Amino acid sequence: MSGAPGLAAMQREFAAAVTAGDADAFVAHLAGDPGRALRRLAIYRRAIAANRCGALRAAYPVVARLVGDAFFDEAARRFTHASPPREADLNRYGAGLPAFLAGYPPAAALPWLADVARLEWAWHESLMAADASPADFAALAGVSGEAQPALRFALHPSVRLVRSAWPVLAIWEANQEGRDGTAARDEGADDILVWRDGARVRLALLGAPEAGFLEAIMAGVTLGEAADRAGQWDFAPALARLAGLGLIAGFHAGDPRPA
Amino acid sequence: MPARFAPRAPHPAKAGIGLRTAHFEALAARSPALGFLEVHSENYFADGGPAIAWLERFRRDYAVSLHGVGASLGSADPLDAAHLDRLARLCERIEPALVSEHLCWSSAGGAHLGELLPLPYTEESLRHVATRVTAIQERLGRPILVENVTAYVRFASSTVPEGEFIAELARRTGCRVLLDVNNAWVNAVNHGTDARAILRAIDPATVGEIHLAGFAATEDGLVDTHGARVAADVWALYAEAVSLLGPVPTLVEWDTDLPALEVLLDEAARADAILAGARPARRVAA
Repeated sequence: MSGAPGLAAMQREFAAAVTAGDADAFVAHLAGDPGRALRRLAIYRRAIAANRCGALRAAYPVVARLVGDAFFDEAARRFTHASPPREADLNRYGAGLPAFLAGYPPAAALPWLADVARLEWAWHESLMAADASPADFAALAGVSGEAQPALRFALHPSVRLVRSAWPVLAIWEANQEGRDGTAARDEGADDILVWRDGARVRLALLGAPEAGFLEAIMAGVTLGEAADRAGQWDFAPALARLAGLGLIAGFHAGDPRPA
Repeated sequence: MPARFAPRAPHPAKAGIGLRTAHFEALAARSPALGFLEVHSENYFADGGPAIAWLERFRRDYAVSLHGVGASLGSADPLDAAHLDRLARLCERIEPALVSEHLCWSSAGGAHLGELLPLPYTEESLRHVATRVTAIQERLGRPILVENVTAYVRFASSTVPEGEFIAELARRTGCRVLLDVNNAWVNAVNHGTDARAILRAIDPATVGEIHLAGFAATEDGLVDTHGARVAADVWALYAEAVSLLGPVPTLVEWDTDLPALEVLLDEAARADAILAGARPARRVAA
């Protein structure tokens, strides 16, 4: 516990006064003219709301464009009230917005909105993920045929997979800067590979079997099990594609924690 | 292991600017002479990616100051160990010349408000902040600088003036002082107090950096927007500070309505001219 009980009580009341409720009672703690103190508290109230909403807007620019400013600001206000930031670094704030949007009644007419948000969060996380060098594939050639099914792969830290029942990649692309918002496709159930290539985050559409294979690899299952799940589908080109993009950061045989 | 960067202290009589994403390309192309670059530490907390790569690139040419907005020195919430770990990692990676935080709090009950909120200046606050500054300095293995903030409200319970509070904090913890001249001016105008009082209260030897920025005048008083040129009154107060303190690394901060890089360089040149005219140090201690 804090050794500063007076401070703790004051800060709880201050926070309530500038994020919820009304500030009238709190003004008793402040020096000077109460009316002016109330207006000064409003400076903090506006700044806090703007900072939180700004952090969400920075992470979710396509969602903001799709719904418009007024809708986004109101959704952000409700979200931040229900799920305020739990850490100081607002660059990491907003992971819960896709789930919030999925259950937000005013967004019910846009059933793909939450998936667009998931794609944007994956993009955002990918941008901030650690750097890593690709694995040494010469060593992979040394793995015997019998040992191959026991291989597990570690992917580049920036790799994300977003699976949607909607054409969210087309929607995302149509709402980038300089585009008019008209999606090139209005059909599709997009499975999207997200990764960072140098300084840039890239997105690529995957076929459903490839996405299923990647999902298994990302979950840490062995190559043998991922292949079994893929059935008749040949996983080798998918693995080669990941390797070609430099997204296989390590591999290990037999150990559940790949190097 | 060889040092990754040559040790580099900020030039004492050369102003620095805040490093903003929008200026990365222009700054890299021009490489202007600057005392140092300052960044908000939290904007480089990512494990990898372009932001930290840019900062490492600029670190090759400039001294860097890490200016934290999130350690929440005065919060009654426990110190966030994960936050301090990220700050410590960034310090190891960048080898900053200066590391600073604000004399404020920004979270209550675990919810972060993302603002630099004011403290009552009481013995309870002083003991609490001193304990936390000491803990952070031990975690980082270096002294930090603590900055006076803009306070739009003042507390009825405050028992000491801000300047004396900061001076005592520095005495108790060995922290240094980041004197924000604009904040001192904004507070003085908003509360009808003397902007020079903080200059008189602080031991000149403890001041390691000065901040300059622009404010906006509103019907509720001056608002510290960091979105305009430094005001004439603030330049005058800065000149007084420099004549009292000697040349101190000075930052031109600009965070909103960001202009072209040239405008920041122009403001920095103006600070340079004042620093160049300063008598070198009437500092009382080493």
